[in-house]
Order: sequence, then structure tokens, then C-alpha cells
Amino acid sequence: MTTAAPVKSETVARPPRPDRSWPYRLGSLALVAAILAGWQFLPSTGLVSTIILPPFTDVVRALWELVTSGFFYTHLRVTLTEIFVGFFVGTAIGLVGGIALAVWKPVKRLTYPFVVGFQAVPKIVFAPLFIAWLGYGQASKVLMAVVISFFPVLINTLVGLESVPQDAVKLMRSLRATPLQTFRKVSFPHALPLIFAGVKAALTFAVIGALVGEFVGASEGLGYLLDSYNFQLRVDSVFAVIVVLAAIGSGLYFIVEWLDTKLIFWREDQRG
Amino acid sequence: MAWASAPVETGREPGAGRSHEALIELRGVSKTYTAASGDVRALEPVDLDIAAGEFISFVGPSGCGKSTLLNIVAGLLEPSAGSVRLDGVEMSGPSRDVGFMFQSPVLLPWRTVEKNVLMPGEVMGHDVGQVRPKAREVLELVGLGDFLQAYPRQLSGGMQQRVSLARLLTYEPRVLLLDEPFGALDEFTRESMNVELVRIARSAGLTVLFVTHNIAEAVFLADRVVVMSPRPGRVSGVVEVPFPQPRTIGVMQQQAFTDLAFQVRTMLGGL
Repeated sequence: MTTAAPVKSETVARPPRPDRSWPYRLGSLALVAAILAGWQFLPSTGLVSTIILPPFTDVVRALWELVTSGFFYTHLRVTLTEIFVGFFVGTAIGLVGGIALAVWKPVKRLTYPFVVGFQAVPKIVFAPLFIAWLGYGQASKVLMAVVISFFPVLINTLVGLESVPQDAVKLMRSLRATPLQTFRKVSFPHALPLIFAGVKAALTFAVIGALVGEFVGASEGLGYLLDSYNFQLRVDSVFAVIVVLAAIGSGLYFIVEWLDTKLIFWREDQRG
Repeated sequence: MAWASAPVETGREPGAGRSHEALIELRGVSKTYTAASGDVRALEPVDLDIAAGEFISFVGPSGCGKSTLLNIVAGLLEPSAGSVRLDGVEMSGPSRDVGFMFQSPVLLPWRTVEKNVLMPGEVMGHDVGQVRPKAREVLELVGLGDFLQAYPRQLSGGMQQRVSLARLLTYEPRVLLLDEPFGALDEFTRESMNVELVRIARSAGLTVLFVTHNIAEAVFLADRVVVMSPRPGRVSGVVEVPFPQPRTIGVMQQQAFTDLAFQVRTMLGGL
């Protein structure tokens, strides 16, 4: 338990709420305006080459062209499919694996060193291998997303289940509860906040996995699109794809965040 | 210091009006832990008979084996030797006739007060619809009738312990084992919880084993105080508390009470 720390719900899941009072809101808006103005101004004065930083309005135009083109939605669908399939399969494997490791001690003792060892490997190195195995299609990207996203779920499930208060377990024993009853009524709900923190991390990791897979070798997908634009030095379009990816990332984050507040309403940290 | 070497009581209680049939019989119950550095004697053999409806306090410093003893009676811990009989039947593992309450309330934060109290019924496979009236009645009894739909985090520590007590009472165990149940509460809340506990236990005819390290509390609550000493954990004596029930806090002002408390203190040793 010492080698692989779980993803802490406080550290990963929920950054401190920004101050919402109006001077700060105005300040934030002013900051955004300043950055956009700088982004627009610097390239147009020739201080920064437009190949390095295209003016903001160029990026907006490129984004508009991108989202009004028919091929964009093919790429979007391909990448989103990879992310979701990778995320769900990875989460399922992490959940089942974490439960198995927590429930069957021999399984844990046998496999835990490999699990930790596997986590120490930067999993991006598998991307070329997966493409060699599974080809340029979506399967290799899904596998990449699975491999990179299952671990936070697994480790958080394991730690969550192992951190159930001993008194609660004793209470269930004193009621002659079956192991399944103890698991369903006490252990699993107790572990849920930590599991959910792992699931959030898995979603971010699944996006990274799918994109890395597409960078290394693909014929479609947003990662492929970004890589091709970059190769053609169409930097404004590269930025446009980045904006799309940022929107996907924040969208998914907010969905999971909303689910978290609905599902784990009793979480004690930061809510009150 | 004659009391310190007093023989362990064996349950031949002269107390008038008490049933001669013991509900709980401890015979040579001991616990030894095997460690790498050798065996550790956590509890020397204990013989004790507890009558139905009796309120027994176990008092002693940490390491005296009082929690060990309570866990053995709960069936949560296997004694190394000896036997525990409940109503003449030798215990093996936890029994639903015996309810255990911890120092922390151990409530499930995702369940409302009512659902926490219903939990034992669910575990025992009872129909929730049939258990619900009992749960409400018990919550009423502990003064939480207005908090059925509250969540534990919305309650104070004392209220949380009441929920814990209510959860225990719903499935109607005959024996309550309380391991410093109000130890984490402030002095005033603890006093009122104690008074209430005795009232509830008496009215339901429950047998109570109450572990504490507070001498006054032990004497105030109990019919008998079992005094325990550490290294190795053992029973160093049993003190009868003759004050009639129901008792009020005023009992603690009496000279007889102070004398009894001092007697217990002397048996604990270290003076």
C-alpha cells in the first residue's frame, strides 16, 4: 500500500472553489480579455511569427471552418468512441480487479507486485506496440485508453475497500451479516467516494490514451487531425482542434462532477 | 490493600431478589496473544455469572483486558480457554441476542437516521415494513423522533450515539455490550446519556455489560462493578452497589457513594 498512493478525492477530484464575489469575477473576465488581446495583438505586430502563434481571430475562423466541415464529425465520433469504450472497459476492469484484490487476499499477495510494477511503466510506450498488434484502426486506441485508465480505478477501489472502519466491520459481524451483506451495505458504499475519484482520473486518462494512440498511428480521429494539421503547418487549425479537445475535456469533467455530487451526496470534504 | 488480593467472584451472589439462574456464565475465560517475542497474556482466567436484567460495569485502566472480555462475550473474539454460556448454551461466534455498541457511533453516512436504525433488520432478513414501526418507536424512546430523515452528519455527537443505541434496541437483543459508548462525548452529555441508558435498560429488562475507565460512572450505573487490572489483564475484584434504582445524579453526593468509589479505586491499585 506504500508504493501506489490512491488518487485522493480532495486533491484530484475537487479543486478549491473559485471566489465568486463580483470583483473577482470582473477580474477573471479582465484577465481573459487581456490574454485574448495579447493573443490577437502579438502576431499581428510581427513580434511573434503567425506560424508559431496565429492571431486569435484566425483560430476562431479555423474553428468555424472545422465545425462546419462534414469530415470533422467523422473524426469527432471516432475519438469520442475510443474515449468512451476505453473509459468504460478500463473502469470495469479497474473496479472488478480492485474488488478481487480487496476480497481475495491470496490474489492480492500474488498479483500486487505486478500491478505496482506495471504502474511504474510509462504506458505511452505501449502505443507503437498496440498499433503493431491491432493495426491503425480504433481497437489499438481503445486498448491504449483501457491500459492507461484502469489503474486509478483499481487502486482506489482497493484502498477504499481496505479502509473500511474496523468498528463497522465488527458491527456487521455482531449482526451475523454475510460477507456479501457487509460488502453491499458497508464496504462498497464506504469505498464509493474514493472509487469515484479514481473514475474521474480514469476519464482524463482515457482521453490521453485515445489521443496518444492517434498521434502514434491512425487514419482518423481528432488526434490524427491535429497531427496532420501540424504537419501541414496549419497552426490555426491545430489550435482549433485543441479548443475542441479542451471543450470535450471540460464537458466530460462537468458531467462526472455532477454525477459525483448526485451519487456521493454524503461526502464530507468541501461540501457543507 | 486487602481488596487487591481479593479472590475473583464466582457468581454466588447473595443479592436478594436476583434470579439464581445466570443469563451469562463465564468459566475460566482467558485470552493469550501469540507474538514473535513470546505469548502475551491479555486476560487471566475469569469466572463470572451475570443474572438477567443485571447492569454490570467493567472498570480499569487500558490494557486490563476489559475490552477483550467484552469482545469475547460478544462472540467477536475467540477465548484462548474457557467458555461463555448464554442462557445455558455455549456461545460460538456472535449472537443476535447480544448487541454491541462502540465508542464511535459507527453510523452509515449515506443512510438517514431511520434507515441506519433499520439496517440490522435488513441484515436479519426481516420485512422492512414490519420493522419500521419498531424503529420509529425506539427512535422516539431515545428522543430522536423528529430526526428520522436527518443524515448522521447533521447530528451532534450525542445524538449520533443515540441513533447507535436505537439501532441496537430495534432488534431487541437481551444483552447490551457497551464499550465506552459515551467516552467521546462531553461530560454533561455523557451524564444525561448514562441516566437515559439505565432508564431504557431497566424498562426493557435488558442485561447490560458496560465498559468504562471512569470510576464514578461505573459505580453510578451498575448493580455490580467488576474491577480489572492490567499486566496481565485480570479481574481484581467485584463490588456490589446497593443503591436502589432509579438513581439520580444526587446519589453521587452521598458519603456511601464516595466510599464505594474509593473502594474501587483502591482495588485498581497504584495508589
